[in-house]
Amino acid sequence: MTRSPKLVTGLALAGVIVLFGLLGPLLTGDPATIRDSGLTPPGGEHLLGTTLTGQDVLAQLAHATRGSLWLGLLVGVLATVLSGVFGIVGAYAGGAVDEVFSLFSNVVLVIPGLPLVIVVAGFVPADQRGTSTIALVLAITGWAAAARVLRAQTLSLRNRDYVAAARVSGEKTWRVIGVEILPNLLPVIASQFVFAVVLAILSEAGLSFLGLGAADSSTLGTMLYYAQNGFALQREAWWWFVPPGLVIAVFGGALSLINFSIDEIVNPALRDRVRRDGDVVASDPAPPEPDAVLTVRNLNVVYRGDTPVHAVKDVSLTLRRGEILGLAGESGCGKTTLAYAVNRLHRPPAEVTSGSVMFGDVDVLALEAEELRRFRWVKLSMVFQGAMNSLNPVTTVRAQLKDVLTTHRPEMSSAQREERCAEVLRLVGVDPARLGAYPHELSGGMRQRVMIAMALLLEPRVMIMDEPTTALDVLVQREILDEIKRLRDELGFAVLFITHDLPLLLELSDRIAVMRDGEVVEHATAEDLYLRPHHPYTRELLASFPSLTGEAGALTR
Amino acid sequence: MTTLEVRDLTKTFRGFRAVDDVSFTLSPGRTVALVGASGSGKSTIARMIARLVKPTSGEIVLTGPDGTAVPRRRYRDHVQMIFQDPFASLNPFHTVEHHLARPLRLHGKSPAEVPHLLERVTLPPEIARRRPHELSGGQRQRVAIARALAPGAKVIIADEPVSMLDVSIRLGVLKLLARLQREEGLAVLYITHDLATARHFSDEVLVLHQGRIVERGPGDDVLLRPADPYTRLLAAAAPNPETRFRQGGPS
Repeated sequence: MTRSPKLVTGLALAGVIVLFGLLGPLLTGDPATIRDSGLTPPGGEHLLGTTLTGQDVLAQLAHATRGSLWLGLLVGVLATVLSGVFGIVGAYAGGAVDEVFSLFSNVVLVIPGLPLVIVVAGFVPADQRGTSTIALVLAITGWAAAARVLRAQTLSLRNRDYVAAARVSGEKTWRVIGVEILPNLLPVIASQFVFAVVLAILSEAGLSFLGLGAADSSTLGTMLYYAQNGFALQREAWWWFVPPGLVIAVFGGALSLINFSIDEIVNPALRDRVRRDGDVVASDPAPPEPDAVLTVRNLNVVYRGDTPVHAVKDVSLTLRRGEILGLAGESGCGKTTLAYAVNRLHRPPAEVTSGSVMFGDVDVLALEAEELRRFRWVKLSMVFQGAMNSLNPVTTVRAQLKDVLTTHRPEMSSAQREERCAEVLRLVGVDPARLGAYPHELSGGMRQRVMIAMALLLEPRVMIMDEPTTALDVLVQREILDEIKRLRDELGFAVLFITHDLPLLLELSDRIAVMRDGEVVEHATAEDLYLRPHHPYTRELLASFPSLTGEAGALTR
Repeated sequence: MTTLEVRDLTKTFRGFRAVDDVSFTLSPGRTVALVGASGSGKSTIARMIARLVKPTSGEIVLTGPDGTAVPRRRYRDHVQMIFQDPFASLNPFHTVEHHLARPLRLHGKSPAEVPHLLERVTLPPEIARRRPHELSGGQRQRVAIARALAPGAKVIIADEPVSMLDVSIRLGVLKLLARLQREEGLAVLYITHDLATARHFSDEVLVLHQGRIVERGPGDDVLLRPADPYTRLLAAAAPNPETRFRQGGPS
């Protein structure tokens, strides 16, 4: 894992302050010793000067830092345990326990924290108001938000198959929670813990400043309180109140930096993005075949990084008018990278290093941003794997279809748009009455049809379909495949159909390209590929699925 | 020999009958394939047999090698499940060792058997130290099979065990299951939507539609000469290059 500068800075700053809190009190002498000197500026014997009563500020600062850290740690642990019990146990148990626990968390959450702390702290007599009391009050008012986060995470984790597998193997409930679920929550718990510590130190400083802090210990907050009471500001004794304030600010900042890094470790998408270097533009694209709508020549795509991955190697493909070209390959063979690169949808660190993509006689890789925007969807549309889940859940099918027309066909009237939307839905076999439906009201197969309708909306000449039926049922898959064939016959567009399902391609495609490790190893008509495969990998793939009607032979033994 | 009998199994969710009066028997050395489209109730049956979901009515009776019914608390020594998605069924936090040693310990066996378990699923012993993300899909599914074998289970519920794997490795995993079934006399319930493998890897095929078994019998009879209209629909829906190129069907 690469060390992020945030994490290193955060750890270094927090480490210095923790060390100071641990070792400082041993080195700086007694903070309570009163001297006659009164308020003296930093220098000489007292590195950070003295207070009104001649006490050494550095010694006070060391003890106060230790006090604040101890309190932060105490609150962090207490709040984390509370949020864990209410969040994780509740969510795993489910049913009534979860209802009660989450109701309780929500009630605690809406109670305004700091005012409550002030009221509670104010009620506890000053002489009984020890660090532990304050810590308890802060923990009780501060755990609920974390409990909700943990509950949400646990709810998703408890439905994972590995949890079911542990139950099937006979694990006890507490072990399932402790050994299977808890470790996967650690990043979240760690980040909630750090947050609780920061919040506790800040809240305690506020409380102490108001004179409601712990009576038996010195913290950064009590230091500020005494500085305020000693009129440090009016006397311009900055050395009295700036150091504790600075320690609070730096420690809070350091922990926040650590927290961001935890988020980044958990969520790779937040890590620094790679700069986008320009893709190589074809130097001299040769004229395409007369019948070709899409010509890919010697395309190379590389994922830049510490160890560059050559995902697409010298791929050449020609998609002719009205043809269904199958691209077969297993996970990780580069077929999706290829599809993205053809549409210039690839993102850094992926980069086209050489080759050309010609759409008719347009060099796709050379298009400017605005030309590219007009090209995509109008000339070439795409249906992704799981595309049915990429419909916006909060707007209707009509709004989403019309949006495409509004963007690309601004000259159309509203009535014309409505008519066109209804027309494409009819094309894919969905009743236009469903235009008003929201995506969740449609089945998976219907949603995928809507996505295909959206891809047809602007009458593109090429559609790229990346595993469009993989997430669907066999029966629904059959309907969609029949629909694609019928639409191709009626409208005459060309389809690049990408899937790992070779039997499906053999049945659907005119020609098939077999891809492996970024290379096209065989490219032939469906019939030739099936009856006369040349490449050993093609033969291996063909031998890897039994035929429904054929003989099993040696296949199963 | 351990036999599992399912009698009149029914599961309703808020009045919707997900599984409706299903009966079948899993006996040693035999594979029963349960086929159907998604939503037909296949997985619910698997989860009821694995005791992850409580049946609304009906019985699951497990008869041990001594001919008597197996008591409830010993049930999981005998019946284990293989899940569909090997990327989800192994805990990303734990090593392969943990995944196999835990069920061994829970069922009174020694964790020293881990290398032997790995060998039975044709994995090298050094894989025990790895974590799931370091394994390929096929390796993960083999680990999941080893985990199901760890308690010494004789009844294996395989819920779509290869549908998430790449085509080229599916057959290897299915062959492994078939070999274990033969050599160790396992009773296997193979749940799938892939009719071709259901036909070739089973002794009996059950076709499930809306929670009911609509057709049952030997694979060749059910899938080559389907009597039920729904089975016919399923058989026709499966992509089959054979019909296009070998029998002169429409292209």
